[in-house]
Amino acid sequence: MIPASFDYVRPESVDEALEALTDAGEDAKIIAGGQSLMPLLRMRLAMPDTLIDLDRLDSLRDVRDDGDAIVIGALATHHRVLRDPLVRAHAPLLVRATAKVADPAVRHRGTFGGALAHADPASDLPAVAVALDAELLARSARGERRIPAADFFVDWMTSALEPDELLTGIRVPKPGEGWGVHYEKFHRTAQAWAIVGVACAVRRDDGRVGDARVALTNMGPVPVRCRAVEEALAGGAAIRDAAELAAEGTEPPSDLDGSAEYRTHLAAVLTARALAAAAAV
Amino acid sequence: MTDRLEGWEKVTGAARYAYEYPLENVAYLAAVQATVARGEILAVDAEAALGMPGVLAVLSGGNAPRLAPVDDGELAVLQSRRVAYRGQFVAAVIAETPETAAEAARHVRVEYAPEAADVLLRADHEGLYAPEKVNGGFPADTESGDPDAAFAASAVRVDATYTTPAEHNNPMEPHTTVALWEDDGTLVLYDSNQGPSAVQSTLAEVFGLEPAQVRVISEHVGGGFGSKGTPRPNVVLAAMAARVTGRPVKFAVPRRQMWATTGYRTPTIQRVRLGAGLDGRLDAVIHEVVAQTSAVREFAEQAAVPARMMYRAANRRTRHRIVRLDVPSPSWMRAPGETPGMFALESAMDELAVLTGVDPVELRVRNDAPEDPESGLPFSSRNLVACLREGAARFGWDARDPRPGVRREGRTLLGTGVAAATYPASTRPGEAVARAEPDGTFTVRVAAADIGTGARTALAVIAADALKTDLGKVRMEIGDSRLPRAVVAGGSAGTSSWGTAVVRACEALLVRLNGEIPPEGVEARASTADEVRSRQKYARHAFGAHFAEVAVDLDTGEVRVPRMLGVFAAGRIINPKAARSQFVGGMTMGIGMALLEESIMDEAFGDHVNRDLAQYHVPTCADIRKIDAVWVPEADPHLNPMGAKGIGEIGIVGAAAAIANAVHHATGARFRDLPITPARVLAEL
Repeated sequence: MIPASFDYVRPESVDEALEALTDAGEDAKIIAGGQSLMPLLRMRLAMPDTLIDLDRLDSLRDVRDDGDAIVIGALATHHRVLRDPLVRAHAPLLVRATAKVADPAVRHRGTFGGALAHADPASDLPAVAVALDAELLARSARGERRIPAADFFVDWMTSALEPDELLTGIRVPKPGEGWGVHYEKFHRTAQAWAIVGVACAVRRDDGRVGDARVALTNMGPVPVRCRAVEEALAGGAAIRDAAELAAEGTEPPSDLDGSAEYRTHLAAVLTARALAAAAAV
Repeated sequence: MTDRLEGWEKVTGAARYAYEYPLENVAYLAAVQATVARGEILAVDAEAALGMPGVLAVLSGGNAPRLAPVDDGELAVLQSRRVAYRGQFVAAVIAETPETAAEAARHVRVEYAPEAADVLLRADHEGLYAPEKVNGGFPADTESGDPDAAFAASAVRVDATYTTPAEHNNPMEPHTTVALWEDDGTLVLYDSNQGPSAVQSTLAEVFGLEPAQVRVISEHVGGGFGSKGTPRPNVVLAAMAARVTGRPVKFAVPRRQMWATTGYRTPTIQRVRLGAGLDGRLDAVIHEVVAQTSAVREFAEQAAVPARMMYRAANRRTRHRIVRLDVPSPSWMRAPGETPGMFALESAMDELAVLTGVDPVELRVRNDAPEDPESGLPFSSRNLVACLREGAARFGWDARDPRPGVRREGRTLLGTGVAAATYPASTRPGEAVARAEPDGTFTVRVAAADIGTGARTALAVIAADALKTDLGKVRMEIGDSRLPRAVVAGGSAGTSSWGTAVVRACEALLVRLNGEIPPEGVEARASTADEVRSRQKYARHAFGAHFAEVAVDLDTGEVRVPRMLGVFAAGRIINPKAARSQFVGGMTMGIGMALLEESIMDEAFGDHVNRDLAQYHVPTCADIRKIDAVWVPEADPHLNPMGAKGIGEIGIVGAAAAIANAVHHATGARFRDLPITPARVLAEL
């Protein structure tokens, strides 16, 4: 359980990091908290030529107010996200889901940005980013661009980041008043990955759920936004009926923890639970 | 309530485990595993690996030292061209750094002539045979009365087949060895094991040495659960590598290699037939077990053995059949035999309770055996009934509505279940030395192993009692083969066996002490061989009862265990604090067995597919809710000077059955195949 050898770079600034990325080319990996990457390195499932360690880039750890949104530094740890007053005020869904990420030790090292850039469909936070219509801030020597979360997750463990790009922050729009949130996670043991997870935010309107944002964890190679559920709710459907549509358009995997059929079933059950909890009905 | 003597060292990281001994000039080993499940090794191409800077040697069948043959074919490491199972060690790289060794191991190319492999256990396999003995030295088959006729004539009959999957021990510390050869030809092993004396004698045999030429040091061991009870191939491989390179060699088996090379619990297929009267009194007990072993080592899990002594019935048969498959060698895993066997027997008892309408606690009380049903021997003590009664009172069993599937809270079904537990109370011969030091303290030496159980502390408590002194004046020295010879920490016989020798050595020392202690100290040695051999014949067993409550989610099929209670009768409890941990740990492992644990065999490749703790699930602390273990007072004068029975294993025995029985009570569905996964449950709701 020892990683293969690699060159190690620890830049002191974002610019230095971008330079290192450009120099290293396609066979570089970025390490932040290392909670997902270290096991892959140790099992030699990842064998990069160069490892670029972001540990010194303290400027990427903060959360700031950006008017109609908050911007969470890519290196903010899960622990930081859980305690940050801006996140707590404006992204309660993220707080709910982050509290369910792995265990306290992992949450102290792992970062929000790292969890997204890793693009593992079984991890909890990509679905949250998709549900919240977050934008991911990517920088390279060529400049900065904003990637909508819905476009960021391209395939299994594959993001839209170019090899020379660094995820620097996540821009989460402030939702406004009246939203209830919930993250429903189904897993075999407390620290295990989600077999299926449901992230949702709903706005109550005259005692009914009107606006809803729903996204699923581990129901395909990328997190899935449940437009069918959202539209049904917007059209006045009851939660239970709308939730039946949760698996529409998904490609759930079959693995040792659950068949595609079982996941399809879970998606509807858990979506109904998540919506009910978020709407507190 | 004694704290672990070495607790401070362990939590601060000062306690030294096998891999951590600082040695000069150490080299590192990485093993190469077979990529076919059966066949012949045609060639091993080590050129690329040897060409890598820092690689010292590549060992394979062609150049490995020849070893003396021993009973356990797993220890004939690199001695044959035959591949017995996928994952078997076929070569090893020794290098200056662990990184280099691991990388070079990837570049060793092994060419095979693969053959069709047979890796799946089936009840109708044509290769099934009766082993001469099953694990523990018991006969494979027993029969008394006319079980078939009695079963056929019974008013109420249970005839059901239960299965348990392959399960892996997974101690936190992997199997680890640091091997070095001293100039005088002594082999020194810093090794993670359950008994340094056993490793010493086996390795001496393998390398053609006198036992005195092998020294095994294992002061701290990070768990074993049986898998470190016998030396595994990693020890032999490290010792070979140290001999070939002339350097100390470190080898910690990577978690993913442990699945094939360090043992596991065999899958079982068990048919149980119970014939009873309308009142639930048993007339026939038939327990027939099918299990697997490997091509290189015969291991016969004794799963039907508890059915020989558990309940009274005039007509009985137990039978074990095993088949040699092209699979890794199964071995000991916490309560081998009793654990899978009592899942089947105690599930069947629950089925009998449902059929007869007799309360499951009362059914077990009614069938309690006044003496060992097969041997006719008296029990040295048997307090199963007391455990059942005490547990029923504490758990609130009397208010239980027996009807299945009727307790519903929202979308959750609730149920409760009970199962009995048992485990043999063995004492084995051994030696110990007690010394009085001039400063008024005592040193007690025995080659015991503390694998995390609290053995060191228990022995110190026993010694302090025997010496009539304070615990703080006793220093225990264990975990070294140079110390007086001791049995392995296995079969729940450690405390009983080592403790007996410790008490006798302390008693002998007290006789010798009169007045001033000379500067060189006073020492007394004891051997318990005669004492243990000449004991009166009794059936000696610990007993227990598990009570479990489950909550079954109607929509997901998920089973949770909000409450579990174990009540045990295990003689005198030496250290309540550590004892409770042993019981609760066993019960927790039973929850894992019931709901989570399963090594899944890939039939195409002949390999377990979920070879890590991300895919092989075990319960974590956060998964365990209210769980408690208590014990009933039990004074048994026929055991050992402490009056103690072993407690390391009984906690898991029957635990899975209690949960499965509770799931039946909750849902009305009977789960006879473990683990009880959400998808399996959902399909029955």
